[in-house]
Amino acid sequence: MVSLASYLIISLILFVVGLVVMIARKNIVAILLGIELILNAAALNFVAYSRYATNNLDGHIFSLFIIVVAAAEAAVGLAIVIRFFQIKETIHIDEATQLRN
Amino acid sequence: MFLQFLFLCSAALTVGCAIAVAVTKNIMHSCIFLLGTLIGIAGLYATLGADFVAVTQIMVYVGGIVILMLFAVMLTGGKDFVSRAQNLLGLAPSMGNKWTFALGGFVGVVFILTNVKLLMSVFQTIPAKSFGNEYPSTVNEIGHLLIKDHVLAFELSSVLLLGALVGAAIIARPRKQ
Repeated sequence: MVSLASYLIISLILFVVGLVVMIARKNIVAILLGIELILNAAALNFVAYSRYATNNLDGHIFSLFIIVVAAAEAAVGLAIVIRFFQIKETIHIDEATQLRN
Repeated sequence: MFLQFLFLCSAALTVGCAIAVAVTKNIMHSCIFLLGTLIGIAGLYATLGADFVAVTQIMVYVGGIVILMLFAVMLTGGKDFVSRAQNLLGLAPSMGNKWTFALGGFVGVVFILTNVKLLMSVFQTIPAKSFGNEYPSTVNEIGHLLIKDHVLAFELSSVLLLGALVGAAIIARPRKQ
C-alpha cells in the first residue's frame, strides 16, 4: 500500500499548498511559511527516491543540506521582516514599494 | 502494520495541517499548523527509514525555525493576535477549545509513534521484526558520507550558516535615527 507514489502525492500536495500560500497570502511571514512548505516537499522527494529508487544515502545528505539552507533562509528572511516592520510599521507585502521606479 | 499506521497518521497530519496553513486567516495559527506539518513530515521520514533526517527535522525545524517564526510574528503583530477562543473546562483563560486539544493530541500521537519508530533498536525486549524495522541506523553511514564524499558542501554550509547569522544580526540591529 505504501509506495513511492504515495510519498510523491503528499509531496505534490505540499508543494501546491506552499505555492498557493506564497501567491495568495499578503503577510510576509506567511510567504516565508509557504517557502518552508515548498522546501519540505523537495526534501521529502529526495528521501523518498533515496529509499525506493537507489540504494545509497545521497538523498538523505541532500535533505540535510536543504534543512541547513532553510534555517539560514529563515534567519535572514525574518531579520528582513523585522527591519521592514521597524521602517513601515506593517508587514503587508503591498507596502514594500521602496524599489519601485 | 505499524509502519502503515504511522504512514497514515503522518500523511493525514501533514496534508491536513498544510491545507490549514493556507486557509487560516490568523498568522499565529498558521505558524502552529506549520508545526504540525513539520512533525508529520518527520513521521514520514521515519517510515522511510531516514532516522537521522527525521531527528534533524524535529530539532532544527520544530525546535528552531518555527520558534523563530513565532517570535517574528509576535514582534511584528500587534494586538490582533490575541486568542479569544473559549476554553474547554472553564478553568484557565485562553486555553483553546476542543479542536485545539484534539489537534494537539493528534500531533502528540504522531510524535510518540515517530519516536517509537526511531528508538526501536533500543527496545531490546521487543522483537524488531514485528515493527518492520529491517533497516539499520543510518547515522554511521551519513557521518562517513559527510566527511568523505560531501566534505566540500559540508564546509560550505558552515560558512553559509555563519554568513547568514552575521547578516541577520546586522540587518535586524536597531539603528539610531
